[in-house]
Amino acid sequence: MQDMIARVVGNREVAGRTYLLTLECDMEAYRPGQFVMLKAGGVSDPLLRRPLGIMEYRSGTLALLYKVKGEGTRLISGLHQDDRVAVLGPLGQGFQDPPQEATVIYVAGGTGAPPLIALASHLKRGRFLYGARTREDIPFECLPHECLICTEDGCCGTKGLVTQALSSALGHGMSMVYACGPLPMLKKVWTLAQAAGALCQVSLEERMACGFGVCAGCAVETVKGIARVCSEGPVFRAEEIVW
Amino acid sequence: MVKPVDLSVPIGPKLTLKNPIMNASGTFAYGEEFARFMDLGCLGAVVTKGLSLQPKRGNPTPRVTEAPSGMLNAIGLENVGLERFLEEKLPFLKGYDVPVIVNFFGASETEYAHMAARLDQTAVDGLEMNVSCPNVKKGGIQFGRDPHTLASLVKIVRGQTSKPLIVKLSPMTSDMAEMARAAEEYGADALTCINTIPAMAIDEETRRPILGNVTGGLSGPAIKPVALKMVWEAAKAVRIPVIAAGGISHARDAVQFFLAGARACQIGTQALVEPFCFSPIIAGIEDYLKRQGVERLTDIIGALET
Repeated sequence: MQDMIARVVGNREVAGRTYLLTLECDMEAYRPGQFVMLKAGGVSDPLLRRPLGIMEYRSGTLALLYKVKGEGTRLISGLHQDDRVAVLGPLGQGFQDPPQEATVIYVAGGTGAPPLIALASHLKRGRFLYGARTREDIPFECLPHECLICTEDGCCGTKGLVTQALSSALGHGMSMVYACGPLPMLKKVWTLAQAAGALCQVSLEERMACGFGVCAGCAVETVKGIARVCSEGPVFRAEEIVW
Repeated sequence: MVKPVDLSVPIGPKLTLKNPIMNASGTFAYGEEFARFMDLGCLGAVVTKGLSLQPKRGNPTPRVTEAPSGMLNAIGLENVGLERFLEEKLPFLKGYDVPVIVNFFGASETEYAHMAARLDQTAVDGLEMNVSCPNVKKGGIQFGRDPHTLASLVKIVRGQTSKPLIVKLSPMTSDMAEMARAAEEYGADALTCINTIPAMAIDEETRRPILGNVTGGLSGPAIKPVALKMVWEAAKAVRIPVIAAGGISHARDAVQFFLAGARACQIGTQALVEPFCFSPIIAGIEDYLKRQGVERLTDIIGALET
């Protein structure tokens, strides 16, 4: 974990209230599934850094995809080229590689796409399923080329939930499902994966204060007791979570 | 050549810190995470997360949220329990050249006494008694609300240990001076002022409280002026050292607390936002003293001119 002052390379809206932020900084130690804590400006309001999942890191450039939800992300969305921003990372445990023989399926819901995009480009195989509410929420240019898109209102791709697409994608052979998105979606993904005898890893989201394991703010109940999403996670094997 | 300044401060007869900066309990876990990127030995002391006799699971999530220039937490004193701490965490901390202060709390006077007696038999360098956590039903603020309850508890705990005993007070009192005197009279070696301020946050869209525990404790720069006044009041009321806590984020904040009468400062919320803040704060205090032509930190403690 390092604390760096990164230079903003770009920051532009790629979908409704969703931005692609690229930063010049050293994140060589990073693994897909990890995240950074980012603070815009030296201000005390908002006080805390924001956890953002890493979407890509390539030769000194870090790409983060985020949706403006509150004051912190609104401030981050106002960053311009050459602005400076404090980046703490890489943080947390990333995804574990799938068994050689397994069919890989990624299930991303809404803002849960970044860590799975990172993983898909690292593994270079598998089917990518992406679910959104409607067309304007979809960051098309960031998604892998062969991505199956589902929208709840049916205005784009397949109509319905991404978990319905997962049902059809789960075949007879061994599958490894990687998922990130809203909690109800993750629950459904795990239920389906379990029923199909598939392996499953999920990346969880929780409110965080520190992001590096000292405040115990981002607790999640696991079969081994309370775990910290920022440190033992954000990626967990689905069977470890007490759903 | 500029003479080096003396940053050391005595915290009671048995404990002297090489510098006045320590972490605040609950923002440093048991030191392992920070030790990966800083030398714990650069601190005046390390204060552990609040420990109970038995392990505690803590509160439901969300456990943290923000407020203007501050944050709210309702962790609920999640901890590994005293015995596991002594077995697994303390040996690690004792590997550093830094005094280890154990923050602890009980659900009853008997439990506080039992813990103090157990800690007395260990290698810890000091005890910080938590009577001010706003986020648990038992073992916190109920002991720190009025001077009589506090006095009775401090007396019992004092009887169980000869280690330096620090009492961490709540800002939720109508008379800080009276609370400080009660703790001093019954044997506290030092005081920590203040714990977080009970607070809450509401999501107007869902019409629900944001924190799983409904209420929490406010910390960060937002509470610094409150802490400053309470430290000032406590320091005027007692002879024992007062350790300041509450929104200290920069060296100049710490200096303000020294002027108000604090002997040392705890950094809490700021370390969550800027984990590398400790060394710059210590260096900043040194710079201030040099700039002011002061040789010893102790010379400016309580030097506020009113």
